[in-house]
Amino acid sequence: MQSRHSSLQRLFAALAQAGRVLTGRQIAGRGLTVFPDDIFLVSYPRSGNTWTRFLLGNLINQSDPVRFSNVESRIPEIYFNRDRFLRQLQRPRMLKSHESFQPEYPRVIYIVRDPRDVAVSFYHHNVKARNISDDYPIASFVPRFIAGEFDRKFGSWRDNVLSWTVLRKDDPGFLLLRYEDMKRDPVVSLTSVVDFLERCSFRKIDSSAAALQRAIELSSAERMRKLEKQDAGLWVLTKGTRSDKPFVRSATAGGWKSQLDRESVAAIESAWGDLMQSLGYELAATTAAADTVSQPGLPS
Amino acid sequence: MPSNIVVRRIRGLINHLGKITDTALDRNPAGRSVTVLPGDVFIVSYPKSGNTWTRFLVGNLIYQDEPITFANVESRLPSLYVHPDRKLRKLPRILKSHDCFDPRYRTVIYIVRDPRDVLVSAYHYAVKLGIVPEDWGVEKFVPALLDGSFESGVLVNPRWGSWHDNVASWLAMKDNRKFLLLRYEDMLVDPERELVKVADFLGLEATPERLARAVRLSSADHMRELEKTQAAEWSLTKNTRPDMAFVRKARAGTWKSELPPQTVADIEAAWGPLMRTLRYELSAAPPERDELPVVLR
Repeated sequence: MQSRHSSLQRLFAALAQAGRVLTGRQIAGRGLTVFPDDIFLVSYPRSGNTWTRFLLGNLINQSDPVRFSNVESRIPEIYFNRDRFLRQLQRPRMLKSHESFQPEYPRVIYIVRDPRDVAVSFYHHNVKARNISDDYPIASFVPRFIAGEFDRKFGSWRDNVLSWTVLRKDDPGFLLLRYEDMKRDPVVSLTSVVDFLERCSFRKIDSSAAALQRAIELSSAERMRKLEKQDAGLWVLTKGTRSDKPFVRSATAGGWKSQLDRESVAAIESAWGDLMQSLGYELAATTAAADTVSQPGLPS
Repeated sequence: MPSNIVVRRIRGLINHLGKITDTALDRNPAGRSVTVLPGDVFIVSYPKSGNTWTRFLVGNLIYQDEPITFANVESRLPSLYVHPDRKLRKLPRILKSHDCFDPRYRTVIYIVRDPRDVLVSAYHYAVKLGIVPEDWGVEKFVPALLDGSFESGVLVNPRWGSWHDNVASWLAMKDNRKFLLLRYEDMLVDPERELVKVADFLGLEATPERLARAVRLSSADHMRELEKTQAAEWSLTKNTRPDMAFVRKARAGTWKSELPPQTVADIEAAWGPLMRTLRYELSAAPPERDELPVVLR
């Protein structure tokens, strides 16, 4: 019975896929057509990618503020949009992705966030998405988060961050942003993005102090919360999720200190402490041995 | 409108419809969109690095009933680029891949080969496939491959990356998964020793008799004999020039006589530090550059 059920499901999925392909509506995802002038906004989930999309979208086109209902045509993500739609966007395109290292992405802005905060945010996100129940303990969630169970194709936080930073750190087409730096001083972070986009010969952007300030205000957490209330039913990432839980949550750094128990923090730090420290995230456990990241080389 | 243009347009349309139908009916090779199942084993390498030989070795160690041939290798250790996902689900799950790092692969045997020999081999294979212009020597082919201007679905795929991206991505991510690195050159020197590593890695029985049998049934001479009669049945040799062999020299260091000094210098300038990490001796002093990002020191 079980196998008949799953083969039926597979048949329906196959028919749905056939229908999407024949009508040119398949989702881009990993089958995305990549152009040589594309710029990708990449991060592990829950690392500030949507906020960055608001910031950049509001900076690039200052006459029409970004909302949840138009962000997918301004800086669309590749997982819910059709390749055909994405191919028709004005070039150069800016696209959101959560993939770990992809050799064909020509230019990448990579956002990294303290994985302890990512864990907290991802936990609430999964409650909102009804993947786990309200009373599911965060302490049970963390080991599954470390194993990368929730979005296997993106890998674990470490897989995602390390693969990009190791492969592209010296590449002129790669810019690393820290969510915490963006929070502390968004002007500095945005300026580095503007410089990067200029190097990539992206279209001309007004990067005056007033323009930066306006983009930051239009993308503030309070404003995004307000917009979410209006548009949650229209946005692909919030549609159908629990409306009593917000997508734009605390939008702060260091929330893990009050939300994670000591064991969860220790588990994350012992799994990824080396990489966290190299990215400037101080460890709570003073005993955590700073493993040196092993050489991408040979075993003797 | 001249009739040959009409014919070409109609052909183009039929071709396009065929592609759409293949996608709709899930008849395209799985490639990157393969469904990864728990327990899957991946034999990964950049193209022309000994992947087929490794499949023969591993297959001949596993299957004691009937030797691996070009006619059965795709049903026993199938390639991601031959079968659609739907078909792969029903086949044994030791899979050949050329993809760059994919976090879903949990068990990986990665084969690396001296990129100078890889490029020599790639050139000959490209000629066999008929995808390089007649007047191109290896000295024109290599720079086109290095700067990404050479496009081909068989030999070059944007999702496989360059030799450097492919190798570096897997080496950097070898922790936190089951990972075995094999050097093609070490396999040539002592195939049984390297096959023991694979047997230990996969938990296969490896008596001296079994090892000797697998190595014998996977030797270059034996594979050349098989290719003579089976080239038309195998997807990688079908419709390619029959006067050129797929199983070519199967040796290390042929770049020394086949590559002009400037080409060698280009390769080493691009990838020198990683080559040195992998114990491939450079003929020129490598550029001063670290392989590890500063943030990870």
